[in-house]
Amino acid sequence: MAKLILLWLKCVVLWAIVEAVFEDQVGKFDWRQQYVGKVRFSHFDTHVQSSKKVLVATERNVFAALNTRTGELFWRHVDKTGSEGNIDALLQHGQDAVLVVGNGRLLRSWEINVGGLNWEVVLDSGSFQSACLVGQQDMVKHVAVLKKTAISVHYLSNGHQKWIENLPETETVDYQAVYSDGNGEVYVLGVVPHSHIAIVVYSMEDGEIIKQVNMSVEAPWLYNIQASCVVVGQGMLTCVDSAGVSFYMLDLHLQLQMTQVPLQSLALEVDPGFHPVLLSHQPNPARQPLSEFFLQLGPDHYQLLQLNNGQIAAMRDFKPSGFFGKQCYKIILEIQVKIVNLFSAETGRRLLDTTLINLRKFNSVFQLYVQAFLKKDDSVGYRAMVQTEDHTLTFIQQPGRVMWTREEALSDVVTMEMVDLPLTGTQAELEGEFGKKADGLMSMVMKRLSSQLILLQAWIGHLWKLFYDARKPRSQVKNDVTIENLSRDEFNLQKMMVMVTASGKLFGIDSKTGGILWRHYLHNVPPNAAFKLMVQRTTAHFPHPPQCTLLIKDKDTGLGTLHVFNPIFGKKSHVTPPALPQPILQSLMLPLMDQDYAKVLLLVDDQYKVSAFPSTKNVLQQLQEMAASIFFYLVDSSQGRLSGYRLRTDLSTEQIWEVIIPPEVQKIVSVKGKRPNEHVHSQGRVMGDRSVLYKYLNPNLLAVVTESTDLHQERSFIGILLIDGVTGRIIHEAIQRKARGPVHVVHSENWVVYEYWSTKSRRNEFSVIELYEGMELYNSTVFSSLDRPHAPQVLQQSYIFPSSISTMEATLTEKGITSRHLLIGLPSGGILSLPKMFLDPRRPEIVSEQSREENLIPYAPELLIRTEWFINYNQTVSRVRGIYTAPSGLESTCLVVAYGLDIYQTRVYPSKQFDVLKDDYDYMLISSVLFALFFATMISKRLAEVKLLNRAWR
Amino acid sequence: MASPGGQGGGGALSTRGGGGARRMKWALELSLGNTRSRGDRQGGQGDVVYPIGYSEKPVPDTSIQETDKNLVEKRCWDVALGPLKQIPMNLFIMYMSGNTISIFPIMMVCMMAWRPIQALMSMSATFKLLESSSQQWLQGLVYLVGNLLGSALAIYKCQSMGLLPTHSSDWLAFIDPPQRMEIMGGGMVL
Repeated sequence: MAKLILLWLKCVVLWAIVEAVFEDQVGKFDWRQQYVGKVRFSHFDTHVQSSKKVLVATERNVFAALNTRTGELFWRHVDKTGSEGNIDALLQHGQDAVLVVGNGRLLRSWEINVGGLNWEVVLDSGSFQSACLVGQQDMVKHVAVLKKTAISVHYLSNGHQKWIENLPETETVDYQAVYSDGNGEVYVLGVVPHSHIAIVVYSMEDGEIIKQVNMSVEAPWLYNIQASCVVVGQGMLTCVDSAGVSFYMLDLHLQLQMTQVPLQSLALEVDPGFHPVLLSHQPNPARQPLSEFFLQLGPDHYQLLQLNNGQIAAMRDFKPSGFFGKQCYKIILEIQVKIVNLFSAETGRRLLDTTLINLRKFNSVFQLYVQAFLKKDDSVGYRAMVQTEDHTLTFIQQPGRVMWTREEALSDVVTMEMVDLPLTGTQAELEGEFGKKADGLMSMVMKRLSSQLILLQAWIGHLWKLFYDARKPRSQVKNDVTIENLSRDEFNLQKMMVMVTASGKLFGIDSKTGGILWRHYLHNVPPNAAFKLMVQRTTAHFPHPPQCTLLIKDKDTGLGTLHVFNPIFGKKSHVTPPALPQPILQSLMLPLMDQDYAKVLLLVDDQYKVSAFPSTKNVLQQLQEMAASIFFYLVDSSQGRLSGYRLRTDLSTEQIWEVIIPPEVQKIVSVKGKRPNEHVHSQGRVMGDRSVLYKYLNPNLLAVVTESTDLHQERSFIGILLIDGVTGRIIHEAIQRKARGPVHVVHSENWVVYEYWSTKSRRNEFSVIELYEGMELYNSTVFSSLDRPHAPQVLQQSYIFPSSISTMEATLTEKGITSRHLLIGLPSGGILSLPKMFLDPRRPEIVSEQSREENLIPYAPELLIRTEWFINYNQTVSRVRGIYTAPSGLESTCLVVAYGLDIYQTRVYPSKQFDVLKDDYDYMLISSVLFALFFATMISKRLAEVKLLNRAWR
Repeated sequence: MASPGGQGGGGALSTRGGGGARRMKWALELSLGNTRSRGDRQGGQGDVVYPIGYSEKPVPDTSIQETDKNLVEKRCWDVALGPLKQIPMNLFIMYMSGNTISIFPIMMVCMMAWRPIQALMSMSATFKLLESSSQQWLQGLVYLVGNLLGSALAIYKCQSMGLLPTHSSDWLAFIDPPQRMEIMGGGMVL
């Protein structure tokens, strides 16, 4: 009995403990990575010696401060996209960073310690040319902004305008640069293209023109001052002409005549086809620039020059280099493949050379930002941020140590796929045994024995490892995910995210941790390329490696290339992709496989001829057999033409239908088919009277969205066209009058959801179309678009949505049993998971018994945004461009990746986790209750026996 | 069952007479003690000397033969009509429990369905009961019909509660997705 009481007490105590545990799930299943984009301007924060900041202003209109120790963001400000938020200039002085934003529309000052806004002023209209800080007597108090027709000077402290002056003769002179070196004068440099230079000198005090030089300085070779001229030394304007044969120098204070110095006299030669660039450095805006400057002669070839008493002297040539200088010391940092060299700028003497440690491979250096400082022992230390052409930021610190790298290419993901991880070696071995073709009884037995042996071996190895690790302290036993120990987890929740970025860099990211497992830079990707990523072989076909194919199409020439790679390791495949001599229009992946289990990819060229990849004999034979049932469609939005083609046995094609949408009235914006890996579990919907309304599940259905070319708010409209991709039959057509794009559309199962801007009511609206076959199925065993005599029933309903949206996607699960949600990326950075139940055209206006039976929500025009629907809680995802969904091994779980400026990965459970025990499931309580019951049974059995015996004694 | 002085280790005391042959004030039996007392318990009061005039077997009464026959008949009709009599009661319960699917109506329906089935299963036993009646077959038929009516009522209740798979929606989950005849792909010109 005492035991029982003790057990009971234990139970109570344990239960109490378990009850007290509360596990925060933040960051457990999700991660976010924040990026800034390709850096345009960067400054080290030097006003405090111990500062750990580097400021970056990027081409994605982001202004941010990075931690120099870790590479993380201190703060980040994301401005509007497009030219409105374009950062034109970044000037830094002390704690203030001054930005010119939106082609000279705004002047902003930020406090760089915490990233707060000091002030913002709206500038007068006019296109921005140049800006500089203006100092006087070693004090920098003003900023000058040069526009096309005017120059204005503002106070640094509060942004107030000190003076503004209109520039003289703006109709002929093109003013391009502004310069000041602390003597109380502001020089505005302009050019009359191919004729002469114009210089206007303003007084800093009141904006009065002190001096004006026009017509006298001939410069017929000059048309762009900023590209070819710098100010060096004591106000010497130094230019190099575009042909690259001579230097021209002009003293800004005297403004006499340009002196010409041929490059040949300095024994310099520009690389053929390269436009020479001059680089100078002005450490303090109140002082004169350094007299040392660079001439870039080739992509990787720099020449250090020195201006001394009006004479230019060549000092040394360098590899990609950066400049840093203060009055007391000037250094040059040179980066070669694996070596960083430090030079004194004054003498060209080498101060230091260090080898880079722990660096992968440097792609060619694009930009270099250097900070140097004097250490306590008076030796020179350096820090450098290197931007390479693949948009990687690498931070190097003395002695050649790579502190961090940031893959800024990931701020511009174009397309992505999620690939299952491979099974572990042993699992794969077992799978392989069953996967291979049978070849005799004996060999099968041998194979089975050998695989069992391997299993045993692995098990013993595992035991040994456990035993070995048990002796180590716990901190040393790490289980980092590396490319070697990648394997599929129990429920296939961890996958490999293959991301393709606009810069042509491919990444393999582990979906669980967000760690970049591999990266591969594709050289020579044109800047406006179109990408299409396809998974040809999944990991299910061991020992054949998984295979992804990326189609890269140059939009200018139309020519395409194929990059075939292994998505798990990122390595280029041994399979040689076919050369594509003809421009490629589209590609389509067939569910056919060759003998190596690679799906067949068909490439359609501009002659509407088809080539297959892989194109083995086996594949061609299969294609010939299947040709009659292979169709494809092409949409040419510029001509407003939708056309369908059929494959012939000789791999030529035949056009079978065509729909013309007149491009002068409306243009095709997007075409959405269904996702090939989508499963629909239920073929119909149960009505209130328990009959079935069967869904119209046409796998060949396309949703075509058009927008009117007329954007007047009374006449603009959007159209949606449901068209069968095989026959070209228009299933449904809807026009939304007084509506305007951008239209976001999701097409799945038997429904299409789209969102648009209603110009009539000035609000965002959702509309849903659902298609039903009716109360009877026409053919329940096969679906053929060619044999569909009945048109489906079309139901449609619209709703008001309180926010505009950035992108939209539907959840996807393994078997399609789980209810669907729409994932909506909002411009505010939230990702909303909206149940599809709310977008149901059968929502009744008047509630009836039947609709209640069906669990239909009564119609309400407004769709509310409930805060608990945000799947990313407070993890704002900036500028969501796309959402990718992938099924996991669990039916309840869908993996979601939102990408844009940031990348966010999480899991969603649209019908809650019905197939998983809860995280806080009380194993302790359940098992203790079980044990308690078990013991209670034992004890009571014993007690009953004793009692029976006692009774027997009576 | 007071047994004074019964502290003897293995033996058992009994105040009851051993075989009834010799009557003593008390006797102590050492040899058969255990077996006796156990047999005592199992065999009930077998060995107990009953009071005078008590007979274990009921005395057959032959004086009221006529009414007895009628009574048997009546009793058999009672048995046969039992299920039919329950029907109004069942109807009332059905009406009261309503058509919502919750634990109590389901229990009711289960009871209603199970009882006739149980009765039909033990039909032979009932027939044995009715053996003595002259209208055995008629009564059996009535009994059967009553039970069948009861189960029909239960089925009707199931039907009205929607528990029977009679609609196409009940078979919806078993429809496989149709096989796709054409392969289609394509898109916007890249």
